[in-house]
Amino acid sequence: MYHLDGTDILNEKYYKQTKSVCPECLGKIDAEILEKDGEIWMKKTCPEHGDFKDKISSSAKYYKWTHYAQRDKDGKIEWQFLKNGEANAPDCKSEDPRGCPYNCGLCDEHLSTCSLALIDLTNRCNFNCNFCYANVKKAGYLIEPSLEDLERVMKHFREKAIPAPAIMFTGGEPSVRADFPDICKMAKDLGFKEVIAATNGYGFQRKKGGLEFTKECFEKGLDTLYLQFDGINDETLEKTRGIKNLSKYKERVIQNCREAGLTSVVLVQTVVKGITDLEIGNVIQYAINNIDVVRGIVYQPVSLCGRITVEEMEDIRITNADVIKEVDRQTNGKIGIENAWYPLTTIVELGRIIGYLADVEPVEFTCHPDCGFATYLVVDPDSNEMVPIMDYFDPLKIVDFSNRFWRKIKHKEKEQIKLFENVLGDFGKTLDKGVNWLDKQQLRARFLIGMLQYTKKPGKLMEMFSRMLLNGEWESISAFTHGSLLISSMHFQDAYNMNIERTKRCIVHFGVAMPDGTIFEAPFCTMNTLHRPRIEKLVAKKMTAKVENEFDTAKGERVIDAQEVQDEIHPEVAYNGGTKKGEKKK
Amino acid sequence: MSQEVVETEEGLKIRKLVDLRPSTAKEYQDAILNRVDHFSKRRDSVFNDATENIIVKALQIGLQAKVKIDELLGDNKDKIHEIVEKLLFLGL
Repeated sequence: MYHLDGTDILNEKYYKQTKSVCPECLGKIDAEILEKDGEIWMKKTCPEHGDFKDKISSSAKYYKWTHYAQRDKDGKIEWQFLKNGEANAPDCKSEDPRGCPYNCGLCDEHLSTCSLALIDLTNRCNFNCNFCYANVKKAGYLIEPSLEDLERVMKHFREKAIPAPAIMFTGGEPSVRADFPDICKMAKDLGFKEVIAATNGYGFQRKKGGLEFTKECFEKGLDTLYLQFDGINDETLEKTRGIKNLSKYKERVIQNCREAGLTSVVLVQTVVKGITDLEIGNVIQYAINNIDVVRGIVYQPVSLCGRITVEEMEDIRITNADVIKEVDRQTNGKIGIENAWYPLTTIVELGRIIGYLADVEPVEFTCHPDCGFATYLVVDPDSNEMVPIMDYFDPLKIVDFSNRFWRKIKHKEKEQIKLFENVLGDFGKTLDKGVNWLDKQQLRARFLIGMLQYTKKPGKLMEMFSRMLLNGEWESISAFTHGSLLISSMHFQDAYNMNIERTKRCIVHFGVAMPDGTIFEAPFCTMNTLHRPRIEKLVAKKMTAKVENEFDTAKGERVIDAQEVQDEIHPEVAYNGGTKKGEKKK
Repeated sequence: MSQEVVETEEGLKIRKLVDLRPSTAKEYQDAILNRVDHFSKRRDSVFNDATENIIVKALQIGLQAKVKIDELLGDNKDKIHEIVEKLLFLGL
């Protein structure tokens, strides 16, 4: 497999010690990650609640590859998929002696910056999915930050030394908010390069006003819809969402995006064993059939909440490796587990080189190798068929070249050439600037030639790829992604499989405006596993009958006028203990 | 597009597509071009940078030539790549 072929690494049993939490009391406990019968398992024992075990990966072989470290002759690690990033300064004091993950957030134990900021816009939703935690009916209270609160959170993410480049609005269903287009505009105005809505499609699919709403969101700055999309069969969708005939609903979202010019939809499939995993291949084909607007697919193996037995766990647990095996199987080996999938961290050095040479901030995917895997499909210009991008260029050689190139030049990022400054003063500084510029140009030429030699086919996509390498601009990245289909699998952690080493490297962070004026920032998995109930109680608003009964969740339709509900939520009242705008906080 | 019907453990019959083909490759290629058009409307777009456009064009011509040379090189391709890499790392 890849660069492990011919080595003994795959024959060695995997074993590692880490920290996790007890699924019962959420206390911090020791855990072991070990190989058993070709799979990777986590085993842990809580002194009070006993033994727990959970499957981490159904392919020990693939797992070992993603945890492989290349060493030099002295045994020093030269390169691995586990990358260290540069974290921002902590936002809070680490007061809890237990350390991570109880000190969010963020505390000084966190190792990565935030690449994707998340804000829950509301917990109102027109659906009532049985496995969803963020729902007004289940919670019994309303969560809906005011525009002022949202601005505070967005500024928090943008004003850091290394700002978050992208933001995703989640919920509940974010598009039930009437001010959703203005929220998108606020995000764009504050400098987020990519503004994303995680949605079931509600506002965008409406028969009356859906197209206008889509257009308005797009014009005000919404870049991408992260569209809940469990399959193409109504039967599957009814099973997961409890609503009949949902495929037409999803179809209307795609059509309205197409007509509005919003050509970046990512289909998000929650993968549940025996229910939606059967539709993995269907979703790929659906994406290909709608390639003019669909940019990618994200498979999300379902996270587990609540208490379940080991047997129940084994029945329903599905891992990233299971997903990519299914993709392999359902595409008849066209997107194979052996050669098509790479951990998200693979491109860190490539991004750093582009960032350094083009003087732009790199997007640092320094998450843990277990967090997610991705591949790209592209149209082969010779056959007109969708093929993995590996047919277009040699990814491993490109990655290896990038890693070695970055090792050679990374010192230049911090040490500028100073030839004339000491001799000629200010004039020397100007000359040195010129020397540094020339140095970057020669490095850029070397890098481009290096990339070129591992490229197998010319075409429009490669033109965009070379633009990406040249300028690192978001426009080039965006145009490249419009010529390819990203397929990825992201497995969020729950209390059963939580690995604190993963948590410390999380790059997807929730932000919540707190009543005391601070911002609570927490990694995605710890927010949902540990912090959500406590934090939500601090920012919750009272539920009213109109809010509770706003939607017929058996049909996904609105039954109470939006304005009437909005009037009850009193958007002019900030969260801060119900303090009105302009009033002093107590 | 070929499809089959499979039955789930609970007896649900669902459609399964067994092909992996783009409906229209043209739409796919157009998606890139439309995105370029979208950005090009802005005056400061990278797609309106004349110098960069010339470099990109040159790279494309270089790539076309490189693909043909690779074909001619056959098994010697890897050796040539190694030599080129050594040159690229020279002095770094």
